[in-house]
Amino acid sequence: MTQMIKALAGEITLEMKKVAQKERIDEEIIRERIAKGLLVIPKNKLRNNVEPMGIGLGLRTKVNASIGTSPNYPDIQGELKKLQTATQAGADTIMDLSTGGNIDGMRNMTIQNTHLPVGTVPIYQAAIESIEQNGSVIAMTGEKMFEVIERQAKDGVDFMAIHCAINQAVIERLKNQSRITDIVSRGGGFLTGWMLHNEKENPLYAEFDRVLEIAKKYDVTLSIGDAIRPGCIADSLDRAQVQGLVFVGELVARAREAGVQVMVEGPGHVPIDQVHSTIQLQKQLCQGAPFFVLGTLVTDIAPGYDHITSAIGGTLAAWAGADFICYVTPAEHLRLPNEDDVREGVIAARIATHAADIAKGVIGAKEWDLEMSKARKALDWEQQIALSVDPEKASQVRQERNDSSTEACSMCGNFCAMKVVSEYLGKEQHSC
Amino acid sequence: MTQLEAARQGIVTKEMQQVAEKERVAVEVIQQGLVEGTIVIPFNSQKTDKDPQGIGKGLSTKVSASIGTGKNSSAMENELEKLKVALSAGAHTIMDLSLGGNLDLIRRRILANCPVPIGTLPVYQAFAESFTDKGVLGIDIESMFQIIEKQAKDGVDFMGFHSAMTLETLDRMTKQGRVNDLVSWGGALLAGWMIYHERENPLYTYYDRILEIAEKYDITLSLADGLRPGCLADSLDRAQMQELIILGELVDRARAAGVQIMIKGPGHVHPNQINATIIMEKQLCQGAPYFVFGPLATDVVPGHDHITSAIGGALAAGAGADFLCYVTPAEHVRFPTIEDVREGVIAARIAAHVGDLMKGIEGAKEWDLEMSKARLPWNTTKQKEVALDPDALPEEGEQIVTKCNLCSGKCAIRTLANHLGRDAWIC
Repeated sequence: MTQMIKALAGEITLEMKKVAQKERIDEEIIRERIAKGLLVIPKNKLRNNVEPMGIGLGLRTKVNASIGTSPNYPDIQGELKKLQTATQAGADTIMDLSTGGNIDGMRNMTIQNTHLPVGTVPIYQAAIESIEQNGSVIAMTGEKMFEVIERQAKDGVDFMAIHCAINQAVIERLKNQSRITDIVSRGGGFLTGWMLHNEKENPLYAEFDRVLEIAKKYDVTLSIGDAIRPGCIADSLDRAQVQGLVFVGELVARAREAGVQVMVEGPGHVPIDQVHSTIQLQKQLCQGAPFFVLGTLVTDIAPGYDHITSAIGGTLAAWAGADFICYVTPAEHLRLPNEDDVREGVIAARIATHAADIAKGVIGAKEWDLEMSKARKALDWEQQIALSVDPEKASQVRQERNDSSTEACSMCGNFCAMKVVSEYLGKEQHSC
Repeated sequence: MTQLEAARQGIVTKEMQQVAEKERVAVEVIQQGLVEGTIVIPFNSQKTDKDPQGIGKGLSTKVSASIGTGKNSSAMENELEKLKVALSAGAHTIMDLSLGGNLDLIRRRILANCPVPIGTLPVYQAFAESFTDKGVLGIDIESMFQIIEKQAKDGVDFMGFHSAMTLETLDRMTKQGRVNDLVSWGGALLAGWMIYHERENPLYTYYDRILEIAEKYDITLSLADGLRPGCLADSLDRAQMQELIILGELVDRARAAGVQIMIKGPGHVHPNQINATIIMEKQLCQGAPYFVFGPLATDVVPGHDHITSAIGGALAAGAGADFLCYVTPAEHVRFPTIEDVREGVIAARIAAHVGDLMKGIEGAKEWDLEMSKARLPWNTTKQKEVALDPDALPEEGEQIVTKCNLCSGKCAIRTLANHLGRDAWIC
């Protein structure tokens, strides 16, 4: 039984209770929203080392950090370090997107070494194994796709990005559209190439019921992959993307019908004036299913700084109703991220989600800022650092140009505005 | 040659020139807009003596008034009276949606008496004429195209076709489970025909034939949305988006054929979704001018839908809609009267102007400033001259309040006027 089926039956599970506690929301509301499909708790039935995490309407916006090996960098230990870094930086979920070396081993190590929900994109492994076994992606069989999905589900994966909504009709729309960057989703690219070469419908669409069966059996939350997401702002909200989203909406309805928890993946590169419509359209076409967005990157021209372009877009997206943000690191478009990139990526995404949570009125969001402001007024450095989104960095920066033995701040020295105003107002003085 | 083809060849037509003058923009802007497909000038090529209207990006928002006999209200003279009233109220275009009486005769009379562009929905004539004959399901495709060509020859400037309401679109609608299914009258009948015959929409299958006729007479296509939302709950759903995606592809094909094209849209739209609705059309249809019905920002006010539409229309125009189809107080209630037509046009013009203010259209805010200045000092002659609806102001000499004596000489307004160094005005 999935969380959704239990919620529909009126049962409030332990996981729902924990989410309710963490979010400070009534557990009956959590149950009701899971039953309606407005909220998901990605937690594989077979996994017992995971801290339940709610994603969806009314909850704190969550951040995902992706890690994983690649053929050129198959080192598992290096990726596990990134896992640790991402967790320390405050990621809410981890996606293992491994495509190199021992993919099964990497996944199992990831699951064992984190209490966060773990997601995967099974088509990556299916494609890599087809290359290894049959020489190419196009030689992949439908069976292979389902076999890998089931294998990963058995290993305890909590949510899976599956590109079920890319079908021949969408590809036709893509052809008629003349896009700039066509398909930039790796999984979407694999599948489209496979479909065009084999002149066959996408098995994950044609046999979506099989996907649902596996998801239901293990309570894997589906994250319907956005194969056709825009790879540049010029391609945003075009006919191909919207056609894909129309089919996603139909699959969401079918997943809910089957009692399977489902969320939807989205953009990508989106010009700033289209971010709001992008979110609104997804919510409409997919009947309020939680929206998991990459970025969004609001401009194409800042490689090396795409954690910043994404923080801008992510803030607007989350404010408009996106529930879950996939981080983008400074390495995006350039190389496989290193540990520093992972840290920077998570922090930038957390700043974005928090800024949006203030605007959305998420419980506890503006209170955090208020606490920080009070600590700032009180010149309570210890507290300010503890409240920082990244305490390590705050502490490090503070130490760099200040004598650690004093309470001074080298920004203004004795001309500290806080201090001057406190004196003027006759309030307790603080050293600066 | 169509206006679009002329613009592509660098020709500045008389109509482009006239539109540029009216809009107070450079003629190159009009020409460029035509080339890009963001501006249309609906103007049947057989005409010479009409008043052209530009519709699209950067131009003032236009208003269309629909008139026409009903199935049971076929008095032609009444509709000609409505035409007169709509024109004097300031409608920029007229649509003849007649269903009763001698349809060819009515259309020709309207065409002869109307200086502004005229639009039709040719399937209306096909459907209406079938009622006394084989019924809608008995209509054959050839007769549909004969009507299209006949109307084009008569001088119609723009035509609505439900070409994107394909079987695929209907399938999306079925899977969606809408509250109000199909509320477009032409769309519903056509859908019934398609389902009965198990055939694709002929207006889609034979779209190239439509393009051929349109190119020949420079008919501007106004591709209609059979699946427009009939209530707030159905707005921006998968069925509506499916049709809009296909409309986008048909825009590409029309442009490739040198045919001017705009897109017809909502309907009932939740006020929070109006902006996204307009953005989606502009995105999916590559900036083709958007002609929207209403939109009605709430479902619950029958008898006053010119007001719900003025609210929605203002937001839509502000977000980029180019052309508003009026909604009269009779909507959802009865066959419109002459007074309803007048009310509908005025309400839509208010919405269009508010949209123009939001869009920053040349001359929009200056119009408001002129009125404001006519209010201080109080100048009724000037106010009447400037007012959007001068008839709403009393005739000269009819002023009821000219002198006020309420405060027996201790006038607050005069005190303030003295303080500001102005002439006193009426309070």
